[in-house]
Amino acid sequence: MNHRTLTVVSFVSFVSCVSVGLFAQIPTDAWPTYHGDYTGRRFSTLKQINTGNVKNLTLAWVYRINTSRAGAIVGGEGPETPPPGGSTPSVKSTPLMINGILYFSVPDHVYALDVRTGREIWHYAWKTRGGDHIGNRGVGILGNWLYFLTPDNYFVSLDVATGKERWHHEIANMKREYFSTNAPMIIGRQVIIGVGGDALDIPGYLESRDPESGNLVWRWNTTPRGSEAGANTWPDEDSMAHGGGMPWIPGTYDPDLNLYYFGTGNPQPVLAGFSRAGDNLYTCTIVALNPNTGKMAWYYQVTPHDTHDWDAAQTPILIDGDFNGRPRKMVAQASRNGHYFLLDRATGEHLLTTKYLDSLNWTKGINAKGQPAHDPAKDASVPGTLVSPDTSGGTNWPPPSFNPETGLLYFGTRQGFSVMYLTDTDGRPQGWAAAERNVAVVGNALKAVDYKTGQVKWSRPLAMGPAGSAGGPMGLLSTSGGLLFGNDGGSNFVAYDAATGKPLWHAGLGANTSNGPQTFMVDGRQFIVVGAGDALYAFALQP
Amino acid sequence: MTGVHAQQQALTPVTDQAAVERGKALLVEQCGFCHGANARGGSGGPDLTRSVVVQEDEGGKQLNAFLRVGRPDRGMPKFDMPDAQAADLAAFLHSAIYLNANRRLYKILDIVVGDPKAGQAYFNGAGRCSTCHSASGDLKGVGAKYEPTVLQGRLLMPRGRPGGRGGAPAGSLYMEPTAIKVMVTLPAGESASGGLVRLTDFDVTLYDTAAGRVRSFLRNGDVPKVVVTDPLQAHVDHLSKWTDTEMHNMTAYLASLK
Repeated sequence: MNHRTLTVVSFVSFVSCVSVGLFAQIPTDAWPTYHGDYTGRRFSTLKQINTGNVKNLTLAWVYRINTSRAGAIVGGEGPETPPPGGSTPSVKSTPLMINGILYFSVPDHVYALDVRTGREIWHYAWKTRGGDHIGNRGVGILGNWLYFLTPDNYFVSLDVATGKERWHHEIANMKREYFSTNAPMIIGRQVIIGVGGDALDIPGYLESRDPESGNLVWRWNTTPRGSEAGANTWPDEDSMAHGGGMPWIPGTYDPDLNLYYFGTGNPQPVLAGFSRAGDNLYTCTIVALNPNTGKMAWYYQVTPHDTHDWDAAQTPILIDGDFNGRPRKMVAQASRNGHYFLLDRATGEHLLTTKYLDSLNWTKGINAKGQPAHDPAKDASVPGTLVSPDTSGGTNWPPPSFNPETGLLYFGTRQGFSVMYLTDTDGRPQGWAAAERNVAVVGNALKAVDYKTGQVKWSRPLAMGPAGSAGGPMGLLSTSGGLLFGNDGGSNFVAYDAATGKPLWHAGLGANTSNGPQTFMVDGRQFIVVGAGDALYAFALQP
Repeated sequence: MTGVHAQQQALTPVTDQAAVERGKALLVEQCGFCHGANARGGSGGPDLTRSVVVQEDEGGKQLNAFLRVGRPDRGMPKFDMPDAQAADLAAFLHSAIYLNANRRLYKILDIVVGDPKAGQAYFNGAGRCSTCHSASGDLKGVGAKYEPTVLQGRLLMPRGRPGGRGGAPAGSLYMEPTAIKVMVTLPAGESASGGLVRLTDFDVTLYDTAAGRVRSFLRNGDVPKVVVTDPLQAHVDHLSKWTDTEMHNMTAYLASLK
């Protein structure tokens, strides 16, 4: 065990230093937050690997997910024997890389790996009580301590050096179908986490927890209560107190404005809106909060009165640049509802809305505030309503990338068509309240959108299978090497020319990449690390 | 919020159906006036299926502890109920919550509400369906052959054989007549064609109908030449054209072809 301790000796000083830094750009030798920095751009200035030499990129190592409790540090409140029905987890977390060690998670498991070799340093296994094990987005680290969430809604802290547990706190009750997937976002002394769950009509909330005790510092409900602002967008107390709006994906942060930006989930009941007439604030909304107090500075709702499960959880990306000839601090989102939004991030002022999905058929156009106008005729109905995109949306949670050198925002899109059938005709419908039948998926693509105009600069069709288009939303990384790393929907990890979308290099990984790719320098070599299904892969140029 | 995935639930089904029935009768008799006959709220009483006390209850224990005290300040009287009865009541409520939470168990209602005559006119007119199909030919008896939801799904996209979710297993879909087709022509002039198995920027795989086997080719830009055709292109193009009324009318028309 001694070598493990030695590996992390310089860790404490390093993290204390960068954690109070501003994370305005991804460091070249570390990846200290979910997005690498606070901006959500997933853009690295590294260029050892570039358009000229990427064809020589080669495998450095593979780490296959190990879920065995043998040899692991075991914690948790669940039974010794895991509940049945567990499937092989997929890597959806973006690892943190600090001082030569990668820290990442899948549901119920956290790993520390040596970034040079891909070898396990420690493995922590959580005995689960159950809950939806759909995914885990990763860990947060402050000083000597690591933080993560479990599907059965525990907030857990581990010692980064050893993986030993410090404490755990329950943050929501799984019997109400809450489950937790978020990666904790650490801003100063605030550890910001959010809950998930949409099977029952439960309320969403974002919390800040104290990094030492794990106790609650503040909680922000994603829907109003009583006569709070926004209450007039719901018909009554019951509908807003059960109105959903899960903040299930980590957000971004502007240290100058001291604002935390994140997107909230869809309202409940999911596909039936008739018991919650109104815009249903603050669901499907981009929210700016003061991270010290949890007080809202401004909001912009990207889907008023959603009835199609299109949360606004997609990364709100911070862009500094010109808009209409003057410099602006902006926030952009390629949203699940098929539209691109650009806002002023100091004030929330709406700047631009464009449609990025050709098949989109559910709005009455764009209203005066730049919001897609709800068309009641495209709500789920008893005899069926044909809607595009389908409930998984035009895009989804996988992290997009913005490259300030090309001015392009990159994201994967999916054009599904579904018939949505209202199944719960009671005046007080519950849960999803409707059934969905997918009928076709046509024309999925990797798209590059000019942030200033919202127009698609280039679009690369994704793979096809016998039934139609494959792939769709994907994690992306762009670099100063002129490259964009993503997948092709056909299980290839691909390096694209960021300017044109031309594929320059690929590797078949047997599964589509399932998290956000990342990059950093290790001992003078630039590594590219990505998860695909049940494994993590590292690539580099041969020395 | 989670899109298309194999949904896992924290809740488990209530297996004692007799207890559920007894609990339902109890609810109607003792709670229904305020909380509604389906427990979703009534004249003044809140929705019990959304109640935190009920959702977090185990086997009626916490529920009965609450009932013994009630909430007099809000007009909820206390109830003295034997534990067995509270357990029955809880069984019904947990069963209702389980059914609310599990969208795979939702039942699609009667979807045949359209006008079959308008559907027939669309079939022969604006829809141009009769270009390829005939009510007395390939669609003869189609209304008796398929459930309405399957019929509606196949009207929109008849790829593969009807079956479970998404039709026939993907492994054999490329052998079906309705599969997307691809023709690959090598620089020397040799060509292969058949059902599309897979197409990426880097490779193409097809089921060679003539050879009766799967073949794959690496791609380098435009070499070899790859041409994709879809026998269901008219259906694909029509996805953006349907109005829901036309879809309902066509469903009613096809359902009438018994």
